[in-house]
Parts: sequence; C-alpha cells; structure tokens
Amino acid sequence: MNTSISILTHKKLFISALLASLLGSISLHSAAFDFQGALKDAAEKQIGLKPESSVTENKDSTKTNTAATQEAKPAFNWKNPSKEEEIALGREITGNLLGAAPLVKDAALQKYVNSVGRWVASQSERPDLPWHFGVIDSNDLNAFAAPGGYVVLTKGLYLKLTNEAQLAGVLGHEIGHVVKKHQLKVLQKQQLLNLGASFLSDKLSKDNALASKAIGTGAEISARSLDKSAEYEADRLGLSYATRAGYEPFGLADVLQTLGQTSKDDSSVALLFKTHPHPDERLSALDEAVGNKLDNVKNGKTLENRFYKLKP
Amino acid sequence: MFKLKHLLIAASLPALLLTQQVIAAETGSALKNDSIRAEPFTDAKLAGNITRGDSVEILKKQGAWLQIKTKKSTGWVRILSVKRGTTSASNQSAGVLALASGRAGTGQVVSTTGIRGLSEEELKAAKFNEAEVKAMEGYTISADQGRQFANKGNLKTIAFSNLSAVKGEAQ
Repeated sequence: MNTSISILTHKKLFISALLASLLGSISLHSAAFDFQGALKDAAEKQIGLKPESSVTENKDSTKTNTAATQEAKPAFNWKNPSKEEEIALGREITGNLLGAAPLVKDAALQKYVNSVGRWVASQSERPDLPWHFGVIDSNDLNAFAAPGGYVVLTKGLYLKLTNEAQLAGVLGHEIGHVVKKHQLKVLQKQQLLNLGASFLSDKLSKDNALASKAIGTGAEISARSLDKSAEYEADRLGLSYATRAGYEPFGLADVLQTLGQTSKDDSSVALLFKTHPHPDERLSALDEAVGNKLDNVKNGKTLENRFYKLKP
Repeated sequence: MFKLKHLLIAASLPALLLTQQVIAAETGSALKNDSIRAEPFTDAKLAGNITRGDSVEILKKQGAWLQIKTKKSTGWVRILSVKRGTTSASNQSAGVLALASGRAGTGQVVSTTGIRGLSEEELKAAKFNEAEVKAMEGYTISADQGRQFANKGNLKTIAFSNLSAVKGEAQ
C-alpha cells in the first residue's frame, strides 16, 4: 500500500485520483453528491494547481526540478489527513452543496443556528474544530455534514422544528458524523480503492482513463448511503451532546417523530429516506440505546420562546 | 388599538386552551412490546401491556415518559416506545407539502420563486460557490460566544456519557 500511496506524489496522477475519488464516492452525509464539472475546479483548488499548467510542466518542462515543486506542494495525505486537510476537503464539499442551494438570506437566522450549533459542538469530542452552520434555501427536508465541521440543514427541515432542543438534536446528529469522521472515512476508503485499482491495472497509465471510468459509474456509486450503523451512532451522539448541553434530551426524537409522519411519496423527503434508515427504525434503535438512562435527566430546556421563527 | 388586541387575545385564551385539550388526544402506535406502568418510573406498578403496532391515545408527556390510553388500560410508557401520529394524518400533511413545494401531480416543479428542492440531480449539477462558503464562515461563533448564548438561555451542562450501541450492534 505504501507504494501506491507514493503515487500521490505524482501530481497528475493525483489529480486523476482525486477526481476519481470525488466523482466516485461523494457521500455528503450519505446524500448522493456528484460534482461533475465543479468537481474539477474543486480538485484543482484542493491542491492549488491548474491542470493546464501541470500538463505543461510535466510534458514540456522536464528540465524543471519537479521534485522540488512536488515537495513545495505536498499531496493530500489520504491515509492520515491532517485537521487542515480535513477542513479543506469539507470546505470544497460544502461549497458545492451551497452551489445547489444557497444560504437563506437571513443573518439573524444564520447567527442563531450557529450559536446553538456551536454550543452543542462544544459538548462533543472535537470542540476545537472551527464549526460552521448554515440553513440553505431548499424546501427539502434534510441536513448534511462535511468533514472538518461544516453542517448545513435545509429551510424545509428548519420549518418543521418548533423549539431549540429539536434544533440542537438535529445539529448534534450532524456534529456526530463530523466527530466520527463518517464522511471522511468513506472518501478515504474510495480513494485508496481507486489508487489500488489504478496501480494494479496500469501503473504507467498517464491518461485520465481512471477518472473517466469513475465518471461512468459515478452516479451509481454516489447514490450510496453511509452505513446504517453510522446513522444510528450519529443519533446516539446527537442526543448525548444535546443532553449534555442542557437541552431536553428528546429533541432529536421529536424530529424523527415528525419525519416519520411524512409520507414516503413526498418528494421533499425522497433523498433523506433513501439515505437513512426509516425514522421508526431510528427511534427504535435510539430507544434501545437509551433504555432507562434518561429517567433521571431532568430540567432540560426546550427554549421554544427564543426559537428563531422563520417565515415559510 | 394595542389594548384591544390584548383584550382579544385574553378573551380567546380560554377557547384556545380548550381546543388544545381536545387536540391533546393525540394518537400513536406502539413501536415495541412494552409494559405500561401506573406511574412514570421504571419500578412503578404494572398497569398493562402494549404490543408493537397497537394504537394508543397519548394523554400527556412528563420527562422521559408518555401517559397513554389503550383499549384496556391507562398508564405510562417511555417516550421512545411510541410512534406519534396516524397514517391518515401523515397523508394529509404530505398533500399539503407537495402542494407547497409546487410538486403536486406532475412531479414537475411548477413554481420556481423561492421554492427549491434538493434532489440527487440538483446536487449532481451543483457548482462550487465560494461567496456562499465565505458567507457561511462569516457567521461562525466562537466557543466563548456559544457559552454566553447558552447562559442567556439558562442552559446548564450536565454530566451524561455518550450513549453506546446495544450489544450485537456494530459500533
């Protein structure tokens, strides 16, 4: 595996590999996410390199000291990404998501959601991340997490909430995904698989065959969800963080109840239901994990009075 | 004018409360087989049983418990033992939602003003938006500011260990 990792130092291959990885497996909180055109730009930005210049550099300027250049711009360490790399990756993913649906233009709303999210995140195992939260202009019911502390929920889901404890529970679930690096692990796995495949099939290949191959099957792979166990784990963590933060512990369960009452045929939950276990199953799993542990948790706040009211 | 408004609100309060009491007869169904307790705590006297799928009437909520009424008995079960709502109610709300998102009938978006979905296709076609990421990052709150916000809401942290998976389930 070390040999295939070292391929990363070859910039051009790295671009292909990164493209292949992103195209092949973008799982944004398990939501199918495929960057297509935007992906290339994102990948280039990710490594601070334009493909034209890299081609020129590799093909025409063989005299230049490529080794030095490569050291100056170290490859993304997929095997063990740094916190900075994790954040950079999450930023790219979030930027693409925001390209699909921009933020709701309501500064008070965004500040409020960041306040709640930041307080809940402070109760997590990664309080040191620069947590960012946002409500996006979509009537779908969904929420997304990207590596490094980027969390987004839709306006449609926000409008279903009636108090701050519920918001804390939803954000807590997403914070749980980030803390456990669920999305990052999916990307890493896919990346290492792609590298392995490229190495085995044609280690000298310098064209974009690998990338095109991945593009061909991209839609299929990108429709993949996170493991069910990752969703259940995020539910348990979300409830735990919100409870530690002083909220009424059943906020997340309330939201799952609401989602469970939404018809499967409703297009606003199509993606959510496709990528997550059914809310009833999630409630049951949460119930098993909770047992009697919340019997003595009292005085948790719902704070419906200061819950920011958003006009539909 | 202001006073009149208040008066009106005050006058309508009893009616509102009455309405809420009526609505409070919420229905639900049992998510699992469970014991019904006479009081809202684990070792309270047994008051009956529910079987997964049983329809129940939800009377009230107290802490981690719901007071429910079945055909045979009345008593308390834990909140997560019951799924709230009924199928007919959900169909109704789905209809309203479908209409609101401009997707009723054809499955096509009929209105585009301020109404957006977030389908797989739309996600796939997305282009990176630097300005929006910057805007989002501009709303970032520091840990200290978060603590102040919590204090204002009188939120107090409590000791509570992360819930772990029950035996046999993958971590």
